[in-house]
Amino acid sequence: MSVARELWTGVALDDQIQAASSNPVILDGQALAVWRGEEGPVRVWEDRCPHRGMRLSFGFVRGETLRCIYHGWTYATDGQCLAIPAHPTLAPPKTICASTYPSETRYGIVWTKLDGGSNGAALPDLGPDEGWEPVRSLFVHAAASPVLEALLNCDLGQQGPVHMVAENAAEVEIGPELRVLVAVHAMDDERTALHAVARGPRAASERAGLARRLERLRDDIERA
Amino acid sequence: MAIRLYDYSLSGSCYKVRLMLGFLGLEYERVQMNFYPGRQHRSPEFREINPLGQIPVLEEDGLRLRDAQAILCHLANSHDASGEWLPRDAERFGPVMMWLMFAGGELMAASAARLHDALGYELDIEEARRKARAAFRVLDDHLTAREIAGARWIVGDTPTIADVACFPYVALAGDGGLGHEEYPALRNWMRDFRRLPRFRAMSGIPEFI
Ligand SMILES: N[C@@H](CCC(=O)N[C@@H](CS)C(=O)NCC(=O)O)C(=O)O
Ligand code: FES
Repeated sequence: MSVARELWTGVALDDQIQAASSNPVILDGQALAVWRGEEGPVRVWEDRCPHRGMRLSFGFVRGETLRCIYHGWTYATDGQCLAIPAHPTLAPPKTICASTYPSETRYGIVWTKLDGGSNGAALPDLGPDEGWEPVRSLFVHAAASPVLEALLNCDLGQQGPVHMVAENAAEVEIGPELRVLVAVHAMDDERTALHAVARGPRAASERAGLARRLERLRDDIERA
Repeated sequence: MAIRLYDYSLSGSCYKVRLMLGFLGLEYERVQMNFYPGRQHRSPEFREINPLGQIPVLEEDGLRLRDAQAILCHLANSHDASGEWLPRDAERFGPVMMWLMFAGGELMAASAARLHDALGYELDIEEARRKARAAFRVLDDHLTAREIAGARWIVGDTPTIADVACFPYVALAGDGGLGHEEYPALRNWMRDFRRLPRFRAMSGIPEFI
């Protein structure tokens, strides 16, 4: 599976991106800062401060701004630089802007794509957004294609067939009442992340068990 | 009742002890060692203090203790009236000890990677990183299970010396060429830890949260 730049890819669980936090994520070899203000949705940016290139995933959040750890340049949610502490009276020129990527939260997963344009497939559509519970993210030391292969043949319990709902997302039905959605995220040639969420009346109570079965899947893939 | 710590600012193991002294609000005397480039910890004089030639060492009331984990146990045992940093009930005592041993054992692979990258120690860096990643994953899986159970700390509902002992080398991973990308639960736990009252940063760990 290659990472098509115009393909929406799940890169984190919304539930695991704390309020007021900035987090490192690698997608197709590209370093991203995935951050959330004190309230509001998750944003996905290039992990690089326009000033001297410091990683913005080391930055810190104040209100709805992200501040670089190095010299404190402060960025609004659209990427625009708002303040430069070393020059407090200067209004930063409009040209100073962090690179942003599109991001959407759906089914408890944060999705992004490296090509910001509107070409390419839409987000996977599995009906209404409500009712999905996080399971966990996993980071498998294997390339995306064997991971996808293993996912399609996995056994998470008394399940029906695994079917693809997008080029990089699969759905598993476990009995009539439990559905698990797994987004497949190629970090680089050697590492693949999986982000799993579940839906159904048992989704919350089964979470710990599902997480353990996914850990087992990860370990089995790596042993193979 | 004076406390003396043989210390080195950049040492993650000494940082465990400085953190604990800070959380307990204890005053202490710092003996700054010339660890690098002076290798003072290997001098004959320091070998009389710790035959293993390692820091940290803590002295108090005629006691002389080496090993960060042992020192954390001692400080919590002697100076924490709440008993929460080292809980004595059966449900928590054993698990705290277990993760404490992990901090002084498996997790020290991350310290080795850092000594290689930062101070040029000769060792098999790929092996050190592989072992460090394996240890990070064990702790991340544990903390993910804790998140699912609605909990935040390694053991119980409050931070313990297990959190203190595990924090430094997880947080300093980057100095050994190890990223935090694969460990969302570790990232969230580290952020919670850094928000604790009396938390102090060190070089390599951001002050602002
Ligand atoms: N088991 C000891 C190990 C401490 C340790 O590795 N200290 C390092 C400094 S961070 C050291 O003194 N290394 C010198 C050596 O081992 O030669 C502890 O946990 O305190
Ligand atoms: S590198 Fe980010 S503010 Fe200077």
